[in-house]
Amino acid sequence: MSDPVPLTTDHPGQLASATPPAPVRSRRLSDRGLAVGFISPALLLLLAMSVFPLLWTLFLSFTDYSATRGGPAHFVGFGNYTAILTSAQVHQRALTTLIYVVGAVTLQTVLGFTIAYLISRRTHGRGVLTTLFLVPMMLSPVVVGLFWRFMLDAQFGVINSMLGSLGLGQVEWLTRQRTALISLIVVDTWQWTPFIMLIALAGLTAIPKYLYEAASIDRASEWFRFRTITLPLVWPLLLIAVLFRAIEAFRLFDLVYILTSGGPGVSTETLSFHVYKVAFLGFNTGTASAYGILMVLVVIVLTQIYLRYLNKLKEG
Amino acid sequence: MPGRKVQLATAAMLLVATTVAACGDGQDGGTTASAPKAPATIPELTTDPLTLSFIWFDWPPARALEAFANAEYKKERPNATIKVNTVPNANWHDAMFTQFAARKTDFDIAILDSQHIGEAVTNGNILDITDFVKNNIDVTAYNPYLLAAYGQYPQAETGKRDENASLYGLPLLGDTWTMIYRKDLIGDKPPQTWDEMISVAERCQAEHPGVSGLAFHQANGSDAAAVTYNTVNGVYGGNLWDAKARKIEGVLNDAAGQEAMDVLVNKMKPLTAKGSGNWFIDEVNAAVAQGKACIAFNWIAASGGLLDPLQSTLGATREQILDKLGFATLPSQKTNLVPLGGMGMHVSAYSPTANQAEALNFMRWFERADIQKKWAAAGGVPSRTDALESPEFLNAGPFNQVYADSVPRMRDMWNVPEYARLVDIENTGVNAALNGAKKPKDALDDIARQQQDVLDSSSRKGGGGL
Amino acid sequence: MAVSVDEAVSTGPARDHPPPARRLGGRSRSVLEVALLTVLAVVMLFPVLWMIETSIKENRDVYAVPAEFFGFTVTMDHFKDVFVGPDGGRSALSVAFLNSILVAGASTVLATVLGVPAAWAYSRFAVKAKKDQLFFILSTRFMPPVVVVIPIFLMYRQVGLIDTKLGLILIYAAYNLPFTIWMMKGFVDEVPAEYEDAAMLDGYTRLQAFRRFTLPLLVPGIAATAVFALIFSWNEFVFAIFLTSSDSVRTAPPAIAGLIGGTTVDWGLVAAASVVFALPVLVFAYLVRKHLIAGVTLGAVRR
Repeated sequence: MSDPVPLTTDHPGQLASATPPAPVRSRRLSDRGLAVGFISPALLLLLAMSVFPLLWTLFLSFTDYSATRGGPAHFVGFGNYTAILTSAQVHQRALTTLIYVVGAVTLQTVLGFTIAYLISRRTHGRGVLTTLFLVPMMLSPVVVGLFWRFMLDAQFGVINSMLGSLGLGQVEWLTRQRTALISLIVVDTWQWTPFIMLIALAGLTAIPKYLYEAASIDRASEWFRFRTITLPLVWPLLLIAVLFRAIEAFRLFDLVYILTSGGPGVSTETLSFHVYKVAFLGFNTGTASAYGILMVLVVIVLTQIYLRYLNKLKEG
Repeated sequence: MPGRKVQLATAAMLLVATTVAACGDGQDGGTTASAPKAPATIPELTTDPLTLSFIWFDWPPARALEAFANAEYKKERPNATIKVNTVPNANWHDAMFTQFAARKTDFDIAILDSQHIGEAVTNGNILDITDFVKNNIDVTAYNPYLLAAYGQYPQAETGKRDENASLYGLPLLGDTWTMIYRKDLIGDKPPQTWDEMISVAERCQAEHPGVSGLAFHQANGSDAAAVTYNTVNGVYGGNLWDAKARKIEGVLNDAAGQEAMDVLVNKMKPLTAKGSGNWFIDEVNAAVAQGKACIAFNWIAASGGLLDPLQSTLGATREQILDKLGFATLPSQKTNLVPLGGMGMHVSAYSPTANQAEALNFMRWFERADIQKKWAAAGGVPSRTDALESPEFLNAGPFNQVYADSVPRMRDMWNVPEYARLVDIENTGVNAALNGAKKPKDALDDIARQQQDVLDSSSRKGGGGL
Repeated sequence: MAVSVDEAVSTGPARDHPPPARRLGGRSRSVLEVALLTVLAVVMLFPVLWMIETSIKENRDVYAVPAEFFGFTVTMDHFKDVFVGPDGGRSALSVAFLNSILVAGASTVLATVLGVPAAWAYSRFAVKAKKDQLFFILSTRFMPPVVVVIPIFLMYRQVGLIDTKLGLILIYAAYNLPFTIWMMKGFVDEVPAEYEDAAMLDGYTRLQAFRRFTLPLLVPGIAATAVFALIFSWNEFVFAIFLTSSDSVRTAPPAIAGLIGGTTVDWGLVAAASVVFALPVLVFAYLVRKHLIAGVTLGAVRR
């Protein structure tokens, strides 16, 4: 994996070779000071706003602390963790989240890649087309959620209105168990297909032309060329996009909050939404912390896969 | 090795975290136990400019209150300005209680839902105003249950007030459900029993294509679906719980409770519009205003917009709309209970002393007989009996007579500290049943079991709140 | 393998024309592809067009069944309502827009001021465990906001930052910092270190060399990075709804969400507010279209 997928890289050891030998010592020292002085403010902010809160969460996750009830926090050992891991309520949310993540990301990938492929085969208007397709991605989830709620309204929503003029009956998009989850997936797909498309397009346009030319000399079929040249060369980059989307989808909160608020019943409650309820409805801060830590663990695993892979890509 | 450093740093952080958390606990421990007491008499008020802030959710009464208070209270206290902060309804509980949890509030008077009192009192978030009420408020001027519902904790029995119990708030806005019916479609006379109401709605729906028989709250947020079920439950003779024994399981889902759920899901739901499973106040109003419902149920305080010709397709003037819309008290069946709505005023324990004094003064002023009548004329729903019976109130809106007639029939939900979780369980459960995600009986049994779990969970180690 | 943006574009010989449509049915296939693309474009853009259309409809047309696509009366009332309150004064929404501008702007400046020097240092110096540090920095960005908000809430209440703009600014800055560092490191990598080395041979200190020679070259990159940070902060909802509650602090996303759930739903107003809210983002996104890939992948993937 070299040229087709150019990515940034570190400049390993560039400094050592570039620095003139003479005043090494003093300059080295000041460089060090400069590095520390430039990096530490950023790291400090991250430590204060990301690491410290996370450690605090970790501590609270072993207690029955409540942010509103006050009183001392009692240690409950792994009580919160076992309760969460054995809770049928949590299992249900995990399943919902899984269906949502797999459904949305698969759909986005297929659609996004298709659009990218189609665009890459066009000669004219590629820039305009790409820009137009990107609009949904730039909108706030709040706007997207609210507006789709309006369009999916069973009574006066434009979607049902169009279905009606096609002679189809009204669909209860947001209030039936199955359709509500599908609606969630559809809306997320609408917003994030452009993301996959954008990255796939980058991969597609980077495929060297001579590979196709060589293939055409061999009179290889279109499908053969797609399978042996296009897909393998785009796949690594596409996987990055897919992993990235999976992490994002796993964290999803705002769309659920606005579109269905978890309904009907709790059938579209994702893990994030459930954590919110535990944390801010009952103010069971201890339990919510443990729940959060478990979610963070999942994210860390996903992120590690993502970053490892990214790294491999860069070094490959 | 970076690994070691990371470990060291982690250990240090954990230590800091523990200390900070422990400090926090220490502070909490000092203020909790019970709600702090408000002074029995109002301390001397400041003459400096002062802004008295409220928090409420965004709806017309909030705007009415701000306008009314700034116009009238200023006459009494020229240096005071009233500001009513509003948040989205879905975020109302969270917005108040996260600030309470922060021990710092941007409001002096919290307008709590009656059921929030338990949580706020137990956490020491609002002032105990028992002594203040004794010295400043004429408690005999009220229906005792109204005083209890918006102020008393522990909760009173339905219809009564325990005079020895502590008070934490005073009524701000009374409310209950009104039945809204289309006089032009079902006749002038509103149905008297629940069964009759259902059959009338059924007939109306059959006779008028495009108009659904019923419209009511079904959403899984706020307290929407829960209030709907609780109302039917009350009407069909059910009980939400046995307060003394703290028992929900077996009480909520007894035969009467099951019948109520069956009526709601199998008789009422089929008469509603398709896709109405996430409707709350505004969607029901919209359905009525667009002439899409024969009979609807909504909070009285939220019904004012129905008479606005700009938002309605029923008529070009208020009179034309009123020719078509009738407002009546809820039909009765086995009982004549109606849901208690509305909210009280509660003084934040974290607001500055000067503002707390001003807040108490405002509350005393607001509960005066003449001011209650003016509040009624300004579109509010007062609580004093004399104001409720006054022409100022009864003539201010077509639904005000409904409220006055409903007062002796009201029943509230539980106002225990666990309210937010109880209502969420009920909301999601009833919403699931209404939308076919659960069978009615299973839904009700699940609600009862999960709510009982919440009440009993105080003794469990870990995992509370799941 | 140091690959810069420009190189990348030229190495992948960006196929200026598609592989010549070969063999049978080249033309009809092309037509089919264009048709498919058009359908997809219409589907993707329809909601946006519908939003714009709803924002200029009168409320009675908004609720019309079947939906009215053409021939409705155009009104600008909803846009007026976005900025002007019912009492003629400034509307709560317009205050929220101002708050959004302030919060997004300040947090972007903070993230940029902290992030650019750090990115430069990471690019130029041999920092211990550099890769680990960089990956750690990026991974903080992946934490679920709903989880992070719990301890942030507890922390803020200790220091009195709940329901303050400063609180939002800090959390957004921290949220954007990983992105800024990663994105900017890519841009710094593209500026040859030799420029600085040459300057230093001329007697400049390392810092002067950075300020006078590298920084000016970084300005376009900084602008692009800042725009993305701005967009993230502008659109953010979770922290905003849990950490703020008063009208004077609330940013636009929770304010727009709050338009639903009063006693009547004014979808025309929601649409108009959404259009006003989305417009700056679209303009900004257009300005940085060259860097979109790096931007949306937090600087991890570049072209």
